[in-house]
Order: sequence, then structure tokens, then C-alpha cells
Amino acid sequence: MATSFTLNVNGQNHNVTVNDPNMPLLWVIRDLIGLKGTKYGCGQQICGACTVLVNNVATQACITVAQSLVGDSIVTIEGLSPTSTHPAQLAWIANQVPQCGYCQSGQIMACAAAMLDGNHGADIAANMHGACICGTYPRILQAVQTL
Amino acid sequence: MPEIENNERHEIQSSDQQETESRKISRRHFLATGSAAGLTLGLALQAGTRKALAQPPGIAGPPANTQVNTWLNISSSGVVTLTIGSSEMGQGSFSGLAQILSEDLMVNYNTIKTAQGVPATGAQQIGNSIGTYGSTVTWTNYWALRQAGAAAREMLVSAAMKIIGDQNRANYTVANGVITYTPNGTLISYGLVANAAARLPVPPNPPLIPDSEFQFIGKTVSRVDIPSKVNGTAVYGLDISLPNMVYAAIQHAPAFGGVLSGSLPATPPNTMAVVPTQVIAGTGRGTEQTGMVNAIAVVASNTWDAWQGAVNLNVSWTTPADASSLSDANIATQGLSAIYKNLPYSPGGPNTPPTSYTVEGNYAAADQIVKTAPKQFSEIYVLPYVPHNALEPLSCTVNYVPGVSIDIYVSTQVASSVLSLAAQLTGLPLNKINVHTTWLGGGLGRRIEVDFVSQAIQVAMAVGLPVMLLWPRPQNFVRDQYRPAAWVQVSAGLNSSGNVVGWELINVSPSILAQRGFPVGAVGDSQATEGSSALPYNLGTISTQWVSHPSPIPVGFWRSVGMSINTFAVESAIDELAEMAGQDPLQYRLNMCTDPRWAGVLNAVASLCNWSSPPSGHFYGIAVTKYANSYVAEVADVSLATGNGLDGHPNLFQVNAVYIALDCYLAVNPGQIQTQLAGGVAHGLNAALYGRQSFNNGVPQYLNFHQNRVMRMDEMPQIFTTLIPNPAQSTPGALLGGVGEIGVPCIAPAVANAYYKASGKRTRTLPFFPNATMQGLFFYGPGS
Repeated sequence: MATSFTLNVNGQNHNVTVNDPNMPLLWVIRDLIGLKGTKYGCGQQICGACTVLVNNVATQACITVAQSLVGDSIVTIEGLSPTSTHPAQLAWIANQVPQCGYCQSGQIMACAAAMLDGNHGADIAANMHGACICGTYPRILQAVQTL
Repeated sequence: MPEIENNERHEIQSSDQQETESRKISRRHFLATGSAAGLTLGLALQAGTRKALAQPPGIAGPPANTQVNTWLNISSSGVVTLTIGSSEMGQGSFSGLAQILSEDLMVNYNTIKTAQGVPATGAQQIGNSIGTYGSTVTWTNYWALRQAGAAAREMLVSAAMKIIGDQNRANYTVANGVITYTPNGTLISYGLVANAAARLPVPPNPPLIPDSEFQFIGKTVSRVDIPSKVNGTAVYGLDISLPNMVYAAIQHAPAFGGVLSGSLPATPPNTMAVVPTQVIAGTGRGTEQTGMVNAIAVVASNTWDAWQGAVNLNVSWTTPADASSLSDANIATQGLSAIYKNLPYSPGGPNTPPTSYTVEGNYAAADQIVKTAPKQFSEIYVLPYVPHNALEPLSCTVNYVPGVSIDIYVSTQVASSVLSLAAQLTGLPLNKINVHTTWLGGGLGRRIEVDFVSQAIQVAMAVGLPVMLLWPRPQNFVRDQYRPAAWVQVSAGLNSSGNVVGWELINVSPSILAQRGFPVGAVGDSQATEGSSALPYNLGTISTQWVSHPSPIPVGFWRSVGMSINTFAVESAIDELAEMAGQDPLQYRLNMCTDPRWAGVLNAVASLCNWSSPPSGHFYGIAVTKYANSYVAEVADVSLATGNGLDGHPNLFQVNAVYIALDCYLAVNPGQIQTQLAGGVAHGLNAALYGRQSFNNGVPQYLNFHQNRVMRMDEMPQIFTTLIPNPAQSTPGALLGGVGEIGVPCIAPAVANAYYKASGKRTRTLPFFPNATMQGLFFYGPGS
């Protein structure tokens, strides 16, 4: 049974229609709204590639039912900064963090969330649990030291 | 693709003679073309790469009229574009090739545009040698690119000389893509003379920039792809979006060798089609044979509905009669027994596994020494099947218009194989097949395969709409082409001084090559034996054998392939022999080392970590290897750890740091090399700690990362690297070393050797933590 509702993503309202009322936010973002920056890695809340902000809290979109977020503010990697100049993004470039880069949207969103919580440096890293198969962890640590 | 109009080749004329289109420059092949859009040179891949194993047997290759894999264009507006046939999967190939080019072409690195090459016919065809594997992109292109840059530079200067009317080359300098006529300061930009340069002969020996004048090579320069990887705009295979595109999710038979049983299930709710897919010739491995309907794709308007339809499909699958043999215990029994219970290779014979192949030496001679030596050693090292699991799951998007064209968008390491496969399945001519290689969220060797591509094409042909086919994460776990499991016995005899006088290595593992229909000759499967032979150690009388394991579980190329398996056995065994000899593991290796570069990295890493004085409570283990022309030595710094992890299993130890010394002859981008080494260590360490797949009645047991733990930031050791310095002046044609895989092989033995120092316990079976899960390691947000 199709259900329609409105989600606020990156400051814009999107009216979406889902067939499955339990459709996770990740697939609404990617396939219905068309924002591909949030990634699918495991679908089980383990890898962190799908991390977005919901009311400024790091949230894994792959296991969050989209319809439960009506009225919430959702921010994806695309919405972090209109000019791609969020301090985390600048630090990631300055420290040449990404290798394949697939996990990095999730890493940066987790970093941004930790910064919104008032964390700096190593405390940011303590709040980042994203998996990186390419092993960019040392450079992530370097980057967050500057934040 | 560079935007070049009027792509037709034409004969290139000079004032003196009619030139033909293609010119050979020493061993390299340049194709020079010209058009209104400037100067174009095509570069061919050099010989000496890893075998072109990605071309599956039974699939016709693209036309062989050119081996060009890279195109360099300088447009009439001075824009320099490098079109690269290889894939960018985080190893920095795009940036690295642009960096190399910038030197001799004398343009600023940051102004070079890079473009992904397309394997299709036409003036900018990428040839059939663009597989991205084997850590080959930099070193196979290095000298050709340098020569191309120099040749293009000289052609542009020659065109400028004609305009100025002064043929004295010494009166011209070049910088940042601008030629200066020094006698009067006239400036001529590359763009101004690009068209005229295209009509000139390609110089056979253009002077290369001396190493002492390098502005870009040898420096750490920024990567061109990184900015888009921090803001969500980088497009991976999974991110493709086409008008009217539908989504499909694949579901394979649970057991290897299983096929669809009974009739096709009804289309599930919220989906639009159910499409069975069969194994296409050349893509099947082991149990998965041509023609088998071993998977079903469910198609819907979005990934979630397709995926839910696929996992909840009301469908029956067969279980092969011999499924019980595909269980861990039986596979292990076969592995152990095949060490001695096997038949020797017979030319022309069936050579059914288990068959033994002599890689080098003579078993009888070595065994005579080993079994009569004053001190004798024999141990078996056991490694599991390991899945790849790049973070981007497998997917492929196909837009097929019957009889007209097909467009394939895919994260692939083998675009030319995709091209061939599409031709085979559609019957379309090659110039109607467009393969678009996206950036890869990890290749790791899994994306050398085209099984998932063949499925996507079948689905597209069935539904008549553009379709993205996804392998949900569990399907990546259960239908991988795994790093082969291996049982490696190392035996040795030491004389009374502790020197090795006899050495035997027997590696039992399934054959990657045989599963792909390649004949395995007398010296065995090269992918299984690499790293096991030609060791630069004085080992006395040696014997190296490989025995084919009969398991039909699909196997494939896993970053560094046979190296990661054999280096674990060899470098663990050497440490055990050092202990038997009562000698320090580093000194023991140096004493018997026959290769100065091997010794060089050993000494460099020892110096880096202060080998003889680890910090209190820290223990060092060392390992060394050579691969893709590079030498690497690693030291793991390990401390004992108490208590249990959140998954209830003992912590045992932690890896505090890893020290790495690399000799790659000439480091093009030191910063990028350093991070690739760190990445190789991370990947290899993750596999050593946790990586394995388990089989019960042909059914893979581990379905996701919660059962196959992935290492996270808090477990990553500190990485320290040192690079053997670049030569003062490199020798043209000398082999640079590859880096993409080289961090991997040494980490498992280095950690095992360090853990032994710390605990007195030898680890000869990987992974270290076979029962690890991610229980308790939760995340944030709802559900945690």
C-alpha cells in the first residue's frame, strides 16, 4: 500500500511515496529524492557509509525508517555546505584523506556530528566508527586534529 | 572523454616527406593524429605487466589494431587532457599519470585534465590491455608517458620554431605550457601551435628532464579526485542514474552449485519483474558452470523494493549431490592430506587435483638433506578462504536498445572485458557498445570479474528498460571469488651453525587459473606460487611445490594474490628457523640474504623502528618480500592485551604500530605511496585478524560484516614509513616498483612473529580471531 509523506532534506521539503512503509531513509534519499552522496555499504548499521544528520545527530540511514522522520531535519553530505567548505571537508582535502573515497561521506557526516556536539581533535575521532577498507584512518586522525 | 571534434585520422605531412600515421619510437608505439582540435598522441602499454588474466577464455577480445591505453591531447586552446584507460580505485592512478606527464610536457600538474578512457572503436580507442590490477599502472606507463610528454613538447617547440623562423633549439625555453623565444622574449602558448605541431614528425629521442630538475615527479601532489570525494559528487558505479531507470537486486542459490528448481516464482509485491540469470561462458568458476541458472534478479522502481522482493522470494533452489563435501572440515582434510597424497604433473594428462607441480628445485634432493640435518623443522601454515568486500557492493547499470546500442556503466577493473562480454551477449558491433568506467569504491581484485556484469546485461535484455543491478551486501559475501584457502608446509634442515642447508615448501591451494580455463603448466599456477620461490635467501638445497586442491569453491584475485599466502608461510617459517638457530630474526635474514635491495629494506625498517630496542612492553616482528618490482619490509609492534572484547572473546594482543620500508626504485608521489602502504597494511591486517568465509554443505555461512569483522579506526596501528631514496638520475627504461598491493603480504607474518615474541605462542593458522564478531560495536542513532 503506497504511503506518501514529506521529508525535510537539506532544508528542502520532499514529498515522497513509498510502497513499503518500512522503507529506510537511505533508499528514499538515494532512489526517490536522487541524492547519491549517502552510500550503501552493509545495510546493517555496521559500516557507517550511510551516516546522515537527523536533527544534528549522526544517524544511520540504512536502518532508519524514513516515515519516522517526518518533521525532522535531515542533512546529507550534499547539504553540509553549499560551497563544500565545511571545516571537515577542507581538512579532508588538506590532509588528502580519501583513497577510494566510498566511505568518506559517512566519515565526514560523523565528524560533523561530533563537532556539533562540541568535540575537537581526538574526541571527534572517538565518536567516529565508520569502516574504511582502504585504511585511511591515520589521515582521518590527522584531519580531525585540526578541527 | 576529451571533447575533440573531427576525430578522423589523417596522414601527417612534413615539409620534407609524406609521413604515415603511426610512428614507432624505439620500443614504444606512438600514434600521432591531428585535427582542428590540436595534437594527439596515443601511448601503448609496455610489455612486462602481469599476465592478461582478465580476458576470460571463450570471450572474443576487441580488435587488436591498437594497443593504445592512454591518449594525450593538447588542444588549440592549450588545454592538456590525458585520457586514461585504467581505472581509478583509490590508488591514485589518474593523478599519478598526470603528475608524470606534467614533468616533460612542462605544464603545471594542476592544469592537466584527466578523463576516463572508453574501450570502443574510434580515433580515441582504448585497447585491450587496460586491466587495472597487479600494481602496474604507474610503472608500465612511466617511461612511455615521460617520452610522450617530451615528444609532444618538442613537436610544439618545433612548430614554434617554424613560426619564428629560428631553428636553433637553444633559443627556446618552455615553462607552464608556454614557449619563450629568448632572443626577443616572444611568448608562444602551446595552444597556438598545437595544430601545426600535429603535422610534424614525432621525434624519436626527445630529451627527458633530468631528475635533478624535477618539479613534479618525486613530490607529493594533491589528487585530482579527492575534492569530489568529500562532498558527495563523486560518481561510483552504484550512483548512476538514468532516465526511466529501474533497479534490480540479485539473489543467488544458497549453495554453490545450486540452481533454480521448479517454476519461476510470481512477481512479488511492489516489484515489476522476476528475471532468472544464467552463468555466461567465461564468467563461471568452479561450481558455477556455463548455463546454470544460479540466480534470480527482482526488478522494481527502487532498490529497496527490489531487494526486499529478492530476499523474500518464494523460490526453490537445488542443493548439489556433493554439497556435503563443500564443508570446512572436508576442505581442510583434503588440504592437509594433499600435501603428500597427490599425483605428479603429467604433460598432456588430466592432472586432476590433487596434482603436484614442481615450481623449482628437486624434492628428493632437498628431502635427503632436510631429513638428515642436525636440526629439522616442519610446520604447516593454514590460511582460510577470504572474501574481498570492497565497501562499494557489486553493481552494474545497463541501458540496452536492441539492435542499436548498449551502454554499460560499471565500477570495473577490466573495461575491455566488459566490452567483449557485451559484444558476445548482444551481438552488437563494438562501435555500438559504450563501456563507462565509473570510479570504484574499492576494486581489490573482485572487480576483475564480470559475472555481475553478465547478469545485469541479461536483466536489461529481459526487461527492456535501463536497469541498475545491485548485489546486496550478503550476496557479495556468499558469491565472492575468494582468496584461495591454503595449506603451506615448510620444512627445513639446519646445520650445526644454524644455517639452512635444505628447504622444502609445499603449497596446497585451489587454482585460480584452472578455474578460468587457463592451462596450468609444469611449474604450476603462477598465481598460487608467487612469493614461494626464487627467495633471495641462501637456503641450501631447495624444493618448491604447488599441489592443486580439489575444492571447486570459486576463487579469485585478492589484493596481492598468492603473495599474501606464501609470504605468511615463508616469513613465519624464517622466524621459527632463526629461533632454532638461536639468532635474532633480522640478523638471521641479513646473514643469508642474496639480494642487496632485500637487505636494504630490512636495514631501513630496522633503523626506522629501532629494532633492537622496542619500547617496554612492546614486541617487534619482522617480514620482508618483493612484488611488482618493489621490495618491502614491515615491522609490527605488538603488545599483549588482557580481558575480553565486546564479542566475548579474548583480546590477546593489540598492534600498536607498523613500520614500513619500501624500495620502489623511484617514488613518483611519496605521499600517495605512504597512504597506499598504510592501506595495504590495513587491508592485510583486517584479513589476518578476522578475514574468513566458512562453508557448510556448500552454503557460505558468513553473510555480513557483523560475522566477518571489519577493522575500525580504534584498531588501526600507527603507520611509519620510509622510502629508499630516489636515484640521483634514473636510468631510462629501469623498472619502477608498483605500490598498490605491496603493503599487504608482510603484515600477517610480522604480526605473528611479534605476537610470538610477546606471548611465546606461534600462530600458524589464520585468522588470528576466527570467532570474532561485531557484537556490541554499535553505532549512533536509532537502534544503537
